[in-house]
Amino acid sequence: MANVLEVKELSKQYSKVLAANKVSFEIGEGEIFALIGPNGAGKTTTIRMISTLLTPTSGDAIVAGHSISKEPEKVRECITYLPDEAGAYKQMTGIKYLRFMAGLFVTDIEDINKCVERAKNICGLGDRLNDKIGSYSRGMIRKLLLARAVMTRPKLAILDEPTSGLDVLNAIEIRKMIKKLAAEEGMSFLLSSHNMLEIEFVSDRVGIISKGHLMVTGRTDELKERYNAPNLEDVFERVVKENEVH
Amino acid sequence: MKFINLLKKELSELINKQMILSLVFMLAIFFIMGNVMKSATSEIVEEASSNKLSICNMDDSDFTKDMLEYFKSNGSKIDLITADEGDLASAFNNKSKLKSYVVIPKGFGEAVEKGEKPEVLSVSKVKGAAALSNMSSGPEGTLASITLYVSQKLAEQQGITSDQLKTIESPLTITEHTVVADKSAQISMSSIVSKIMMQNMLLPIVVMVLIMMTSQSLIASISNEKIDKTLETLLSTPVSRGSVITAKMLAAAIVALLNAAVMMIGFTSYTKGMMSSMTADMTSSITDSATESVNSLLSTGDALKQLGLQLGACDYLLVGIQLFITIMICLALSIILGALVNDSKSAQTMILPIVMLVMIPWMVTMFTDVSSLPTAAKAVIYAIPFTHTFTAMPNLMFGNTSVFWLGLGYQFVIFIVVMFFALKLFTSDKILTISLNLGQKSRFKKSSKTNED
Ligand SMILES: Nc1ncnc2c1ncn2[C@@H]1O[C@H](COP(=O)(O)OP(=O)(O)OP(=O)(O)O)[C@@H](O)[C@H]1O
Ligand SMILES: [Mg+2]
Repeated sequence: MANVLEVKELSKQYSKVLAANKVSFEIGEGEIFALIGPNGAGKTTTIRMISTLLTPTSGDAIVAGHSISKEPEKVRECITYLPDEAGAYKQMTGIKYLRFMAGLFVTDIEDINKCVERAKNICGLGDRLNDKIGSYSRGMIRKLLLARAVMTRPKLAILDEPTSGLDVLNAIEIRKMIKKLAAEEGMSFLLSSHNMLEIEFVSDRVGIISKGHLMVTGRTDELKERYNAPNLEDVFERVVKENEVH
Repeated sequence: MKFINLLKKELSELINKQMILSLVFMLAIFFIMGNVMKSATSEIVEEASSNKLSICNMDDSDFTKDMLEYFKSNGSKIDLITADEGDLASAFNNKSKLKSYVVIPKGFGEAVEKGEKPEVLSVSKVKGAAALSNMSSGPEGTLASITLYVSQKLAEQQGITSDQLKTIESPLTITEHTVVADKSAQISMSSIVSKIMMQNMLLPIVVMVLIMMTSQSLIASISNEKIDKTLETLLSTPVSRGSVITAKMLAAAIVALLNAAVMMIGFTSYTKGMMSSMTADMTSSITDSATESVNSLLSTGDALKQLGLQLGACDYLLVGIQLFITIMICLALSIILGALVNDSKSAQTMILPIVMLVMIPWMVTMFTDVSSLPTAAKAVIYAIPFTHTFTAMPNLMFGNTSVFWLGLGYQFVIFIVVMFFALKLFTSDKILTISLNLGQKSRFKKSSKTNED
């Protein structure tokens, strides 16, 4: 299986904080990989570097054969990025927003229409898409943004805490959608989350990150076995604790 | 294609119902103001030209009767006022439109006949605090007529002819000349100065409002995108950073142009009202030579041309270019300021640096000539790029072309430098990490501390 993403010793030094310290992992085609870690661990920082928004202090990542530091424009054609707690243009209607975003990825009118059609089906907002985004609830905005992140069929969709702000039912729906897209269309996903239950259900492999260090990566069942833990939450606790002992 | 998509989005964000409403509102205000001015001033003009004498006659001598008859036969309308004894205000109660009148007291005619200096009372009423409400010809017209009549009578008594009297009263023939640079014209300086002031007031106000509105909208646009994280989304899509920034600037510039056009239209209609008020002021203040002064005013345009103060099409083009560069500087600055914002509170105050940079030179150039300031102050003022926008018009008018070009060149250099930094900000990750907000920084510190715990 070819790797869609290869992260090689990626580091990011903010003025005072070393937010990511030699993070390395890879994601295969059609794979769902989740970064889990406590608040301030460096998940968002790592994700933003891979999305070409932050320049790494050292290291590199290869997305579909393109280096994020040398060919960021090429990388942007292969990915979509959904920021944590993102909003959308409030004065636009949902449908207009989708058209606008699609127009940034493809230029052909027919392709744009196809993307928008797809997003319409995925987001499940129905007629509310004709309303201004300013009138949407947080969950509705999240669903709209998720739909737009996958409508262009990127090779790699990068979703920072995709289900934050969604109720249980909607979160389940989103998880199912992610799994389906990965299985049926071969899209790869890089997620971050706090919700272990969700991660256990949705992801093929996880990476546990703490204080900028990627401690372990592996399949969920593998990790559970290795740490002799009943669930991912315990694995997480043990890994983070172990790290603090050092 | 992608760029047009971006531009359309930026434009639709800027041109909304609110913006159109405020434009219409602004136009309406200008038109209303202009019309109010016009009607207020036309009343004054009418009054000044009507030749109406408001007199309260308390003298029943033949001399006074003859004088009033003489006024009537000379085409003046006499408005006889009645006032209660010892109560000058009562006359205004009887006649609401009355603004001033002259009282001829008992014994007036007798005094003249005896060759004494007779007394008259000039009564005027303050109507309100507004400039125009008190602007009227006052009792001067009436007083002048009475003075003329009495001095003629006195002259007759002394055996002086009326021609001799005229010579004695104004023995000098004065022609006023005004010099600008190396040219001169036969016109009074005051009428030239007021005309120039009118012209030079318009542009700075338009520039001020334009800069404020344009920078505010661009700062808000960028800071909102930062706060909503739509900027992160936008920058992770396959569009060049350059086109994101250009689309934002172009949209803001287009809206600025729209605003400028509306303001120019509004202002011209407003200043037309102002101009006619000025004409009225002059005719009323020099009642005797009223016609003369109107004539000289009508020829102000020619005099301006003769003095080289009239701007030609080429000059206006240069002013336009200067205005364009000014707007570009303020757009580039706004991009940087908008990028510094991290929360909606600081977005409000981010325009302050631009306000300062515009207000200071505006004030300074309004009240004084920059080149006459002490060297240090001059250097500071000239270093502010917007100063050269305010001095552009006078520089072109007074023929300081080299100063104008220096200013324009300086502004261009500033624009390149600021734009360079703005682009650098956008193409690096600084746009997302930079922050002037101390509260935000301390939050980072706190969270990193809790990590270490
Ligand atoms: N712009 C910035 N400037 C300075 N430090 C930053 C900046 N952004 C993040 N940091 C710091 O980098 C570290 C990692 O932050 P990051 O946002 O990547 O964490 P996270 O894992 O996404 O946390 P959370 O689960 O809360 O989202 C934190 O200590 C944070 O304070
Ligand atoms: Mg995060």
